[in-house]
Amino acid sequence: MKYSRIADAYKKIEATTKRLEMTDYLVELLKQTPKDLIDKVVYLTQGKLYPDFIGIEIGIAEKLAIRAVAKATGHSEKEIEEDLTKTGDLGKTAQNFSKEKAQAQLFRELLTVQKVYGDLDKMAKSTGAGSVDQKINLLAGLLANATPNEAKFIVRAVTGQLRLGIADMTVLDALAIAYGGGKEARKDVERAYNISSDLGMVAKTVVERGIEGLRRFEVSLGDPIRPMLAERLGSPQEILEKLGGKCIAEFKYDGERIQAHKQGDQVTLFSRRLENITDQYPDAVDLFKNYVKAKDAIVEAECVAVDPDTGEMRPFQELMHRRRKYGIKKAMEEYPVSLFIFDALYIDGEDLTLKAYPVRHKQLEKIIKQNDHVKVAEYLITDNVDELERFFEKAVESGCEGLICKSIAEDAAYQAGARGWLWIKYKRDYKSEMTDTVDLVVVGAFHGRGKRAGTYGALLLATYDPDEDSFKTVTKCGTGFTDEELNKLPEMMKKHRIPHRHARVKSTLKADVWFEPAVVVETMGAEITLSPIHTCAVNVIRKGAGLAIRFPRFTGNYRLDKSAEDATTVNEIAQMYRNQLKTLAE
Amino acid sequence: MFKAKMADAKLLKDMISAIATLIDEATFDINSDGIKLRAMDPSRVAMVDFEWPKTVFDEYACSEPMRMCINISEMLKLLRRTGKDESVELSLDEKTGRLQLTITGKYVRSFDMPTLEAVEEEVPTPKVTFNVKLKITTDGLSQAIEDANLVSDHVRFEIDKEKMVMRAAGDIMGATIEIKKGSDALLDLEAKEASKATFSLSYLSDIVKAAAATSEVATIEFSTDMPIHLDFQQPKEGKLTFYLAPRIEVE
Repeated sequence: MKYSRIADAYKKIEATTKRLEMTDYLVELLKQTPKDLIDKVVYLTQGKLYPDFIGIEIGIAEKLAIRAVAKATGHSEKEIEEDLTKTGDLGKTAQNFSKEKAQAQLFRELLTVQKVYGDLDKMAKSTGAGSVDQKINLLAGLLANATPNEAKFIVRAVTGQLRLGIADMTVLDALAIAYGGGKEARKDVERAYNISSDLGMVAKTVVERGIEGLRRFEVSLGDPIRPMLAERLGSPQEILEKLGGKCIAEFKYDGERIQAHKQGDQVTLFSRRLENITDQYPDAVDLFKNYVKAKDAIVEAECVAVDPDTGEMRPFQELMHRRRKYGIKKAMEEYPVSLFIFDALYIDGEDLTLKAYPVRHKQLEKIIKQNDHVKVAEYLITDNVDELERFFEKAVESGCEGLICKSIAEDAAYQAGARGWLWIKYKRDYKSEMTDTVDLVVVGAFHGRGKRAGTYGALLLATYDPDEDSFKTVTKCGTGFTDEELNKLPEMMKKHRIPHRHARVKSTLKADVWFEPAVVVETMGAEITLSPIHTCAVNVIRKGAGLAIRFPRFTGNYRLDKSAEDATTVNEIAQMYRNQLKTLAE
Repeated sequence: MFKAKMADAKLLKDMISAIATLIDEATFDINSDGIKLRAMDPSRVAMVDFEWPKTVFDEYACSEPMRMCINISEMLKLLRRTGKDESVELSLDEKTGRLQLTITGKYVRSFDMPTLEAVEEEVPTPKVTFNVKLKITTDGLSQAIEDANLVSDHVRFEIDKEKMVMRAAGDIMGATIEIKKGSDALLDLEAKEASKATFSLSYLSDIVKAAAATSEVATIEFSTDMPIHLDFQQPKEGKLTFYLAPRIEVE
């Protein structure tokens, strides 16, 4: 197949602004394309060589492309740069100079699709010493043999500026019309795309096996499924109404959404944008490998940074330290992760995407061996507005963004690639940042695990309520202590230790160890949130909710100068909450 | 089976350098008589035509005709490791499809590299009637091209019965180089009619610089605004020639 066919179609597509016309030209092009080239032609129309998740891009810097145009046309780089400032489009400039070449050829070669695709592929894969020259030579080779129109589109494609406006959805339309027998086939074509994320493969399947073959298209290990997305509502009432009165609410963890494909011992991880991120998370790979009991599976999880000492969740920004190519091992030690798995899309040969969510969730719970680092996302099945609100507060307080509420209807399938009302986000739209430290009383402690075995993992901290002369819990803090301080803690607190909760301490949490209120520690937090657990300022801001400090950290100062009654009061915390309350922009 | 040995590794290194000026991947035709290669650069502006009969080698064996494609720039990296008075041996492992390259001197080192899928394209010879034919020392030619390279990225050849003139015009400077028939550099000159053509120095300079290492004397043929043919005479029975398409001059 001649490349000019593609370039001619591009020219027509570029000239129209009407999507239907665009689709017609694309249909015409796809019909002219031989079977064995259909996937390549589809990728090329997107300015690509492979589906995105393969991670191979053509990506030639403009500077190199200018050198290639110079080499191919015999004009100087300076002339080309001058023209480029006028056109603002290196493709157009290449076309201009291609019309007036200053360098003759011994023989002219007609460009075929195979040749263009092959050379672009070589450019994309060329690395290391000498790769710059090789890329320039290959590109110059294509441009020297190209017609002016071909040169324009080749240059745009390699510099990532094809911009024909052919969206994925237009390609799906065109495939349905060209090979599926009409627009009715669109649904099947789209489903195949949504569960494979690979337009080329969908094209190949429909061309080779027809619409029937496409209907039998199944989820396949290694090809990422386009993620199902959630709509958003602002209150538990609305959410429950929309979901038919009852739903599964899950913590919406503040981490990175990961789709894991496990094939025996082989695990591949895809990001929400379907990039292959396996290399970034060797620890997550091991977790999936060891704690997903099915031999083959596709599961979705939130990957969250956790404090290596306390196991508490850290904010999303901390996880971003893991977005790197080098120094992965060190980052892995400093920023370990936990997985909260929330969906199963495929288990041992069975495609679950068409099954209802409760069914998928049950299957999921069967194959996950839960432990400190791998858990099924915390969930609650409820039809109660207050219960949902409290679950939401608990989620926010423990470091989550909010909740995802999911339909439990029988037809609540996994809608790959779609944003729909089967899943509804409930995120907080306010935030109260802490700007100052507070002084809190140590009233209890929790035993440490792992590295902290033998000492305390976290302290239960309280504020003072002068009206009731009691101490009300506001946070659990395990961060900010040095190893030395930690080891000394049990000894230091020994004289304050009592066998049960102190009568003046109000707490819904059951600490492992209780203390009389005496030691005051200076603490900083990220923000103050509503809490269904802590007793500080209960009913002051909202009925049924107290206040808590999110992401607390001990500053290192023991306030020996302060007695327990000198600690920050509940009213002061409530005032801080009100003063700093800001509406979150979405 | 293919195996070839050369007592002087430099010969192979220089030849591969000359080929590498135009192409990254080269498909060699190998048979019991020797090795051949004819290929164009990706832009199809220049062509290299190379032949080494088996007599060039000190040992040579090829059981059946084959086409072997190798990455020339990778091979050149290996050959640049050769020193004075070292020998080189090439042999193809048919099982693995890898080419083994052994350099023997003060010590022996053996490299192996993959062979690539051979290109099945036949490159024809350009059909050109030449009006001018001249013989020039490669040293003289290199010097003249270096001079022109100082001021421009292309050079115009103007040749009549008496002399060869090379003109280069850059943005700032210009250069004229005149070589007369009978001078030390210009050994012979036949011109049916005066001819002129312009060539890209980036090609010409690379070709001449690399080929001059393999040859003392070059035979040049050309006609007005036609491809130039450069034949670098080889010490043994080898052949190394190039064609280079002219620039299109808008007067």
